[in-house]
Amino acid sequence: MPTRKESLALIAAALALPQCSGGSGRGPASAVRVGSKNFTEDITIAEIYAAALENAKIPVERHMNLGSTQIAMAALQRGDIDLYPEYTGTALIDVLHMPPMRTRPQIYGTVKQAFEKRFNLTLLTPSPMNDSQGLCVSQAVAQKYNLRTLSQCAKLAPQLRLATIAEFLTRADALPGLQQFYGGFHFSSARTYEIGLQYEALLRGDADVATAFTTDSQIGTDNLLVLQDDRHFWPEYNVAPVARMSSLKTHPQIAAVLNRVSPLLTDSVVRQLNYQVNVQHTDPADAAQQFLKEHAV
Amino acid sequence: MKHLPQIGGLTLQHLALVGAGLGIALVIAVPLGVFTARTPRYGAPVFGLAGVVYAIPSLALLAVAVKYLGLGFWPVVLVLAAYAQFILIRNIAAAIAGVPAAQIDAAKGLGLSAWQRFARVEIPLAAPALLGALRLTTVALIAIATLGGYVGAGGLGSEIFFGLQRQYVEETLAGSIPAAVLAILADAFFRTLERTALKRTGEA
Amino acid sequence: MRYPGADRNAVDGVTLDIAGGSFTVLLGPSGCGKSTLLRTVNALVKPQSGRVTIDGSDVAAADGTQLRRGIGYVIQAIGLFSHMTVGENIAVVPSLLHWDRARTAERVDELLGLTGLAPDRYRNRYPRELSGGEQQRVGVARAIAAEPRVLLMDEPFGAVDAILRADLQDEMLRIVQSLKTTVVFVTHDVDEALRLADRIVVMREGRVEQYDTPLDILTKPSTRFVAQLLGTDDTLRRLSLMRAADAAVASESTSAETIDAGASLRDALNRLLGGVTRLSVVRDGAPIGSLGLEEIRKALQ
Repeated sequence: MPTRKESLALIAAALALPQCSGGSGRGPASAVRVGSKNFTEDITIAEIYAAALENAKIPVERHMNLGSTQIAMAALQRGDIDLYPEYTGTALIDVLHMPPMRTRPQIYGTVKQAFEKRFNLTLLTPSPMNDSQGLCVSQAVAQKYNLRTLSQCAKLAPQLRLATIAEFLTRADALPGLQQFYGGFHFSSARTYEIGLQYEALLRGDADVATAFTTDSQIGTDNLLVLQDDRHFWPEYNVAPVARMSSLKTHPQIAAVLNRVSPLLTDSVVRQLNYQVNVQHTDPADAAQQFLKEHAV
Repeated sequence: MKHLPQIGGLTLQHLALVGAGLGIALVIAVPLGVFTARTPRYGAPVFGLAGVVYAIPSLALLAVAVKYLGLGFWPVVLVLAAYAQFILIRNIAAAIAGVPAAQIDAAKGLGLSAWQRFARVEIPLAAPALLGALRLTTVALIAIATLGGYVGAGGLGSEIFFGLQRQYVEETLAGSIPAAVLAILADAFFRTLERTALKRTGEA
Repeated sequence: MRYPGADRNAVDGVTLDIAGGSFTVLLGPSGCGKSTLLRTVNALVKPQSGRVTIDGSDVAAADGTQLRRGIGYVIQAIGLFSHMTVGENIAVVPSLLHWDRARTAERVDELLGLTGLAPDRYRNRYPRELSGGEQQRVGVARAIAAEPRVLLMDEPFGAVDAILRADLQDEMLRIVQSLKTTVVFVTHDVDEALRLADRIVVMREGRVEQYDTPLDILTKPSTRFVAQLLGTDDTLRRLSLMRAADAAVASESTSAETIDAGASLRDALNRLLGGVTRLSVVRDGAPIGSLGLEEIRKALQ
């Protein structure tokens, strides 16, 4: 007959079983656990972080596809993961519940300081890429109206037709906010499309301006122009590794490795990665490897 | 298709999530359902509470679960058990309350103890309705357990959500077809049990 | 004995002494407390004050579950367990008492026979396959399966039609007489009470109006309520409870028309109104007297 202790251990083993068979069980104790949220851009960037660490001979354990910012943050705060790619704008607004700020250093500094003080988390070097909302036009329209910036667009709007995703029309940080902040922006028409299809409307000539997320791969493949947010209405959504300060202490090399990678992630690079993963269905891990090889990291 | 070999394992994980979620859900819902059947004035608050829990968006509930239980198997099981309450408590209460009063009175009068009345009279007579509740809950949980893909608990959700993200139809189907098949099989399984139980208890 | 929210006690100030082996009927309009009183006997209802004793021991002191296994219980709604066969239903109490299998099976068949249901045909049927009358026979069989000291019946025949009810009542009497069980029987049906009872308890608003033999209740109602309830001025009903022997007077003259000493005066009256002027009352073939309309009139006074 097993002793009490043994039987307890047996139960614990049985309980742990489903996790092990999931292939996401704990690796070696020293592994860096890299997480990601549940959309392909975040997953791909997390794979780049993971592969870069592995190339630097740091063992990695992957916890990809965490369902939301709240889940990823909860896992990070508990120490179930050591780091994951987060967007500065998201951290500011959705995690810290602070009012939107306009400039990149302002946002980054605020978030980093608050995270360190409140959560014992920190942000490493941010990437230049900015996955924000935006408006884009075809090169032809840009030329025809000499359109480059949102200020110009605000004035020209009555001559322009908008192709939009539904929520853009109602969200305070979308069209209503733009109208208030820039003035104008009263488009001659606004038709709503499923996400992604607004680009097709633009290409077919059914619209002159389309809503966009600024790292959508279509912007690159369709040679579209994202209008410059010249008065900084939208906060910046620069991606940066958010990490446990204690993990950075245990693995001092993490910061050095990731700070070499982050500057490489520009809008066009990330659009290209999104294209590979979303359109060509390249596995994010393969796309990450490929990227690191190209940039000799 | 390169995902095919994983599907078996993911399906098993999925079943483990649903099984554990349902098991824990029953441990909570059976006493609550029986309690509200016996004291109907507590029905409204208990059902109300279960409804409030049910109305919490799944990702928000999952985030809270991760906060306390970490990533992996258990937060998903907790969320499944929590959502199941809404269907289970109400239906268990209705099933128990639906047992003809005359048979309960007769059981009491013949000298069956409270536990014997419950086990030998109420449960068998409520069985078809109880199995119906179990069927609805299982099918719902099979769908909800796809959340497992969001906290590293595995299951078929990993395939579905990743595929959806990339508009990658094959990957999405590789996850959703087994999930649908599981749901259909579970439904058929419980329907068969229900029919058998109904044949036995058919109204006197 | 008061239910929550009621403005009077459901049963109040009742003192009854029920003889072992007797058939006692609790009679009264609905809401008079007769069912409540019945349910105090097997402790399904616990009085706020007062005691119920069986063979001298207080039922409140006994374990309710154990107590009820020794007391048969039949209700109007029958309450056969619909997921069990007839045989399993009857075997419920024996199995609770851990009778062995063979003894239980034997008892089930015995009871089916006793209640007029062929064991081979009925043993393995489900209640839903039975008629209302058959179901109530099984209900009775289930209640008496473990030979209870006391049998409580709460309007058991209330839901069956009048003709079937008479049959069931006859069988009931036959079964009960063979068992020598003490029966307490609730009904609001005066004829049923008169037919079955050794003693009748007439109840009204939780109190006992009268506790007597059927004949005494009919002939000497103690209150207006009892008289009205029983329709004591209902001559035919009274006559049906009196025997020819009770009214017969000794006489030399013999009539060709005879009536048995045990026949009711109602039957006698029928004959007399049918053209016969006088009837010889005979017992075992031997004349013990005679009666005519005048004697019947006297018997009614």
